Amino acid sequence: MAVPLETLVEEIYKMVVDLQGKKNVRAMSLTKAMIDKYGAGEVNKEDCKHAIRQLIDSGRCVYGYYGGESFITIPRKEEAASG
Amino acid sequence: MGDDTKSNTKLLDELEKGPWPSFVTEMKKAAETNPMAKDLLGQLELSYEERIGHWKHGGIVGVMGYGGGVIGRYSDVPEKFPNVAHFHTLRINHPSGWFYTSEALRKLCDIWERHGSGLTNMHGSTGDIIFLGTKTNELEPVFQELTQAGFDLGGSGSVLRTPSCCVGQARCEWACYDTMATCDSLTRAYQDEIHRPAFPYKFKIKCSGCANDCVAAIARADLSVIGTWKDDIQQDDAAVSEYAAAGLDIQKDVCDHCPTKCMQWDGKKLAINNRECVRCMHCINVMPKALKPGKEKGATLLIGAKAPIMQGALLSSVLIPFVPAAELLDTIKELVSRIWDFWSEYGNNRERVGELIQRIGMPAFLDAIGLDPVPEMVTAPRDNPYIFFQTKEDGQETK
Amino acid sequence: MSEPAKRITDIGPPPYEKFLHPLIKKNYGKWLYHERPAPGVLCHISETGDKLYTVRAATPRLLSIQTIRMFADLADKYSGGYLRFTSRNNVEFLLDNPDNIEPLKKELLAAGFLVGGTNNSISNIVHTQGWIHCHSAATDASGIVKAVMDALHDHFTESKLPAKLRIALACCLNMCGAVHCSDIAILGVHRKPPKIKRDVLSKVCEIPTLISSCPTGAIRPATFEGKPSVEVIEEQCMYCANCYTVCPAMTLNDPDNDGLSIWVGGKVSNARSAPRFSKLAVPFLPNNPPRWPEVVDAVVNIVDVYARNARKFERMGEWIDRIGWPRFFELTGIEFTRYHIDDFKHAGTTFARSAHLKF
Ligand code: SF4
Ligand code: SF4
Ligand code: SF4
Ligand code: SF4
Repeated sequence: MAVPLETLVEEIYKMVVDLQGKKNVRAMSLTKAMIDKYGAGEVNKEDCKHAIRQLIDSGRCVYGYYGGESFITIPRKEEAASG
Repeated sequence: MGDDTKSNTKLLDELEKGPWPSFVTEMKKAAETNPMAKDLLGQLELSYEERIGHWKHGGIVGVMGYGGGVIGRYSDVPEKFPNVAHFHTLRINHPSGWFYTSEALRKLCDIWERHGSGLTNMHGSTGDIIFLGTKTNELEPVFQELTQAGFDLGGSGSVLRTPSCCVGQARCEWACYDTMATCDSLTRAYQDEIHRPAFPYKFKIKCSGCANDCVAAIARADLSVIGTWKDDIQQDDAAVSEYAAAGLDIQKDVCDHCPTKCMQWDGKKLAINNRECVRCMHCINVMPKALKPGKEKGATLLIGAKAPIMQGALLSSVLIPFVPAAELLDTIKELVSRIWDFWSEYGNNRERVGELIQRIGMPAFLDAIGLDPVPEMVTAPRDNPYIFFQTKEDGQETK
Repeated sequence: MSEPAKRITDIGPPPYEKFLHPLIKKNYGKWLYHERPAPGVLCHISETGDKLYTVRAATPRLLSIQTIRMFADLADKYSGGYLRFTSRNNVEFLLDNPDNIEPLKKELLAAGFLVGGTNNSISNIVHTQGWIHCHSAATDASGIVKAVMDALHDHFTESKLPAKLRIALACCLNMCGAVHCSDIAILGVHRKPPKIKRDVLSKVCEIPTLISSCPTGAIRPATFEGKPSVEVIEEQCMYCANCYTVCPAMTLNDPDNDGLSIWVGGKVSNARSAPRFSKLAVPFLPNNPPRWPEVVDAVVNIVDVYARNARKFERMGEWIDRIGWPRFFELTGIEFTRYHIDDFKHAGTTFARSAHLKF
């Protein structure tokens, strides 16, 4: 693979941070964005899956969940404490 | 709050009366020793007084590395009921067929006594064991103890939800394939899909051993696996006569209810025109000693059921009319991998696979997953003339 | 954290084989037929000649660990420690010794757990979380189930209906469970679009997330006192509570406008007629805890009319097929209203498009 895993991890992380609060982004959208960016010959779905897994397992990203729909986001303090 | 649970639940106490087992009694049993259960009782009483719920959704709680299995909940009256300020639920993957030993149940109870409200659902709608309510900081400890005891979390969110099945061959003479083994194998094969959300929305697989469909696969599973047979109903004429002798009105109770009227009874001999039988199970249900599914067993695969949100409810529809039992697991795996690839890429957010099919059309969906159209997929061919004819690159029309 | 035990993940459920009664293991796939010696008791006969007895009892679905332990003790005493739960939240004890049936039944009854639910009975009501645990509940679930089953319990302990009758309850349109294909479905409904707590909205919610949460696109941006806010296009709202899920300032719960509807004639099984959805019988009944008398009366009435009029083997929907909907409304005394006529997408499919009428 042409794009090193570490680069992919950082790129995906950056995208999650940028979209924070604007859009709930799911794994497939991140994958598509990376393939768009680097080209299908350079990254594939499996690479992206590994990169996302690394972000989640390291705790830099977490899964969020609302109304049955899941997305990837950065950890923040507990929800729904206010309101 | 207050100390005396009894005097505080005037309305709920009404639900301890009457012969049906009472959930209020269950809550009170737990509340004797558990402050969470006690505050839950208090908050529920408040809901009964005000006729309104008091929960808020919380989206970002879970255990490390998983995107499913925990439903975040917060009280909107935490000052009154601090012990349920956080009240998250865990979904625990049940064993196929919901069989247990007393020892396994006690282990689960002990874990939940240490870490949560002491209240459960046996089981939730999807089939999981539900541990009802605990605090955020208890999630990881309870998860670790569960996995040590051999249990794991089930699915929630945009994942493969915990597959479930009927008892099948463990205790049912009608099962046309091994539902429990199929369900168990699929669950093990797709741990990643259950725990790490990668789909546009939820995906459910349910396995029923025959058309009686005891797990309601056709009504709620994106992939419904329903046992059936291809050859003739196995018939024991002596046993048929026994039923008749015992007073069963075979004409009225069996033949007249056959949906295709493919059975004939002349008072002595029952004749079934198996070519016209739709394998509905009625006659077999009525005369289990005399009639049985055929020997060439397998399953029908159907696609796309869902509850009404968003675009209205759907029942599953036939995708593959018959898969022999021996090929079932491999066929399901191949099929779901094609479906998931396509749906993950082209499905909109919160779009179940059934809705994707409605949006793009069944023929386009069949093309996408590489299945040929067969007449078993429809009750009748289309009756409108709006056909979008397609041409292949070489200029020939496609079928 | 004490001993840092290695973190285990992705093991799936325990292997079910561990939990099977030795008699089940021995006769797996070899069952020949079954008999129903008494309500709540099944006897499965294997080709090996072995007999397995099942004793089925109702549970309220919501179970304390104390009760589960009591079930475990009963299983040790009577069924070799083997038991299971059904898809309708009943508990089943699996026995190889028929002498244990009666003492087990006695202990279950003494502890308040009715035995039954087999054959042409009303089995346990499949239901959802309600006020006990769900944020979007238009009503409670367990309380209505308890009140309805108190009234119908003799249909659980005896098998005296023309066919089986399946009741289900969901507390909002999300309908967790196969509620929409039941002989009788009780469904909680909201009837008003969310009321927006404008003063707190911009503080507690992310507006883009909120707008995109609405499946019908009913929420659009607006400003309130100079701050970004939202408004709801009321005609487009179908009260699904997705917005409330992402934003607690979109309040949907409403004691006076929330309530219950009743749907009939659905089925899941393919026996005789094809599976089908339940159809609207009663559009709205008030939310009246703790015992919801209006709902109980409505359900009992439908069950009684069905039991008196249906033929053997006819499920609710099959009976209505035979007599026709006009007669269903006449016999039950339920009023037919404009709400019974579909006006959602593809509405025409339920219109009467023939001159076939029964008078
Ligand atoms: S679905 Fe069929 S095989 Fe499975 S338990 Fe029900 S009747 Fe038996
Ligand atoms: S299974 Fe159904 S369709 Fe087939 S013969 Fe029996 S009653 Fe008729
Ligand atoms: S039916 Fe609705 S309110 Fe009830 S538990 Fe399901 S999502 Fe919650
Ligand atoms: S209740 Fe549902 S349809 Fe209505 S505004 Fe909220 S999200 Fe939209």
